[in-house]
Amino acid sequence: MLDSYHLQVLERSLDAATLRHRTIANNLANIDTPQFKSQQVIFESFLQDELDARAGNGKLEAYRTNQRHIPFGNAGGVAVPQIVSNPNNFIQNSGNDVDLEAETTELAKNQIWYSGLTQLTAGHFQKLRSVIEGGGK
Amino acid sequence: MSLFQGINTSASALTANRLRLDTIASNIAQAETTRANFVDGAWQPYRRKMVELSPQTNGTFDNFLQAAVGTVSGSQGGQGVKVTAIQEDNTPFKRVFDPSHPDADQDGYLLMPNVDPMKEMVDMISASRSYEANVTALNASKSMMLKALEIK
Repeated sequence: MLDSYHLQVLERSLDAATLRHRTIANNLANIDTPQFKSQQVIFESFLQDELDARAGNGKLEAYRTNQRHIPFGNAGGVAVPQIVSNPNNFIQNSGNDVDLEAETTELAKNQIWYSGLTQLTAGHFQKLRSVIEGGGK
Repeated sequence: MSLFQGINTSASALTANRLRLDTIASNIAQAETTRANFVDGAWQPYRRKMVELSPQTNGTFDNFLQAAVGTVSGSQGGQGVKVTAIQEDNTPFKRVFDPSHPDADQDGYLLMPNVDPMKEMVDMISASRSYEANVTALNASKSMMLKALEIK
């Protein structure tokens, strides 16, 4: 339980949230920079693919005749966040495509998501603690 | 992966926007200055100044480390914004008829700075809104870091 998969997922999600926050901060910092192109972080869909693959519902899975065969596809892989340029947005006269409203909304969403993740992580350790202490109090 | 990078990014933008506001304040303050530079025995009026911004993309150690370890795929995020130059506006000076002015030429015309207060006000509002947006991002970084410290 100490090195459980849940903790790994939580850790990587926190990392992705941090990266997303940095990306949004960078977009906002360059809101008046001519020719600047905004970026966004894609992570949840990769994580979902990985979780599906672990549950045996992967999009691309090899037929295994023995459990000891190495799984094919992305099962057991590590979902890595990806920074891509922001699609479907408008471009201003200066060639800059930062959308202030969209970025601030993403910022707020990401902040709530991050605090939810920290609570889940804290809850994980709380459970561990109650196991160690035998639930005696 | 460090949240401090987010704070540094926002801080660079705050500095840049503060400089923009200072430049605009200087432009407005000098809107009537006819003696800014003494060139070839004659006074030149003040020339409007503009701040030139560009994204800060030079790689930091953190960026190279993350690319090498493979914690992020795709292009690396930037590190905020930097001021590359303070440029002068090359639009012609305003020519005003004022024979009583000590700096007027033989025909009674006076060269005034190429500062348009209306343009400066619009730029000022833009800079101050950008400053506010970046303060919001900075506060978000702060509260996220405090949340992370609550994991125990």
